[in-house]
Amino acid sequence: MPEVALEGQESLKASRVLCVGAGGLGSPVALYLAAAGVGTLGIVDFDVVDSTNLQRQIIHTSADVGRPKVESAAEKVRAINPHVEVESFKTSLSSDNALEIVSGFDIIVDGTDNFATRYLVNDACVLSGKTYVYASVFRFEGQATVFAAPDGPCYRCLYPEPPPPGMVPSCAEGGVLGVLPGLLGVIQATEAIKLILGSGTSLVGRLLLVDALEMSFREVKLRKNPDCPVCGEDPTLHELIDYEEFCGTRGEERVESSGIPEIQPEELHARLDKGDDILLLDVREQHEREICRLPGQFIPLGDLPERVHELDSSRLIVAYCKVGARSAKAVELLRRIGYRRVYNLAGGINAWAERVDPSLPRY
Amino acid sequence: MIRVVMPAHLRTLARISGEVTLEVSGAVTQRSVLDALEERYPVLRGTIRDHATKQRRPFIRFFACEEDRSLDPPDEPLPAAVVSGKEPFLVVGAIAGG
Repeated sequence: MPEVALEGQESLKASRVLCVGAGGLGSPVALYLAAAGVGTLGIVDFDVVDSTNLQRQIIHTSADVGRPKVESAAEKVRAINPHVEVESFKTSLSSDNALEIVSGFDIIVDGTDNFATRYLVNDACVLSGKTYVYASVFRFEGQATVFAAPDGPCYRCLYPEPPPPGMVPSCAEGGVLGVLPGLLGVIQATEAIKLILGSGTSLVGRLLLVDALEMSFREVKLRKNPDCPVCGEDPTLHELIDYEEFCGTRGEERVESSGIPEIQPEELHARLDKGDDILLLDVREQHEREICRLPGQFIPLGDLPERVHELDSSRLIVAYCKVGARSAKAVELLRRIGYRRVYNLAGGINAWAERVDPSLPRY
Repeated sequence: MIRVVMPAHLRTLARISGEVTLEVSGAVTQRSVLDALEERYPVLRGTIRDHATKQRRPFIRFFACEEDRSLDPPDEPLPAAVVSGKEPFLVVGAIAGG
């Protein structure tokens, strides 16, 4: 293409792009940037491949389950383009390492899955003067833009504060259409390539809103916030902070259950085996019960306030959901209205399936 | 008829799908639209605006006709295209999945 030509291909070869996260968004980003001929691709991820990732994290295969994601991703990148220099960081991006890692790259592509890391990536990019290619997904919807402070708005200009823990469900709780991060990740890869080539009109100052269910793409304008604490006219944030503290979280799921009495799957199993009278309360939705269930009572969390009288308060109740966040809310609700012997199944039915009954499917 | 588009998690909370259409009497402003929305779906109270102050929550933005209206005064009239129903009033929320 004349828009790329030899000069553009050389620019791609000379470029250094960091992909934060090798998950749903990071998969297509890494694959397409490798195919495009990006010279150096950094990949940050602390996690290992899980079978539940495979519906959307297409850089990994079933043979990779249990392997570090950076290892699996680097292998696929090299298979597509052996000339790509891959720099793997098998670690969590944190306030301690972010500036150092980010400093080695020209463009940062955010494929993370939680608010704390997104604020961390934003602040590290603003403080380092790096361009931040952003996308996020939930269920059937996605958002994408390019943050390029100081000239354009940054993530904090758009969302100055994160939602309180539990207010916006994570993808683990609410689910995500498998192809959606693919769609948004390809948009991120496109923006990164355009930035490298210096071609076209980037998404700086524009937020793309994608609704895969309606297959609609809306575009809205973003404004720079002159009072932004990190990129505004009089910034007050000059170094990285504790982002889990800022977001009020220690991981979205874990936070949900903080302070809520829990029971571990192994302990519950032992007590049930012993014959203890325990009522298992499933607070998920019907479609989730069709995947897997434990014997007991079923009241979706949304119906619980109206149907709480159906529960026998004399019994010990263990509430569960997919990963433990919704059931933590159920436990909190029940305790607030007087149920004393109510516990949350730590890690939900997925943890039960992983640690007690591997015959149950996880999702 | 005012059209309002909300994020997925708020639609789930209100148990609705697609966009919402509202009848708003009097001036069509952010405040009157959100008042009508919360009257129809009381469960949304406190999710878009603070319960007490009625101020927009910082992880929510309002857009109309492609423009960011989040910092506009709540009683400022919304664009004619929103008033006529040609364009929706967008409530956009932060999401973090990846």
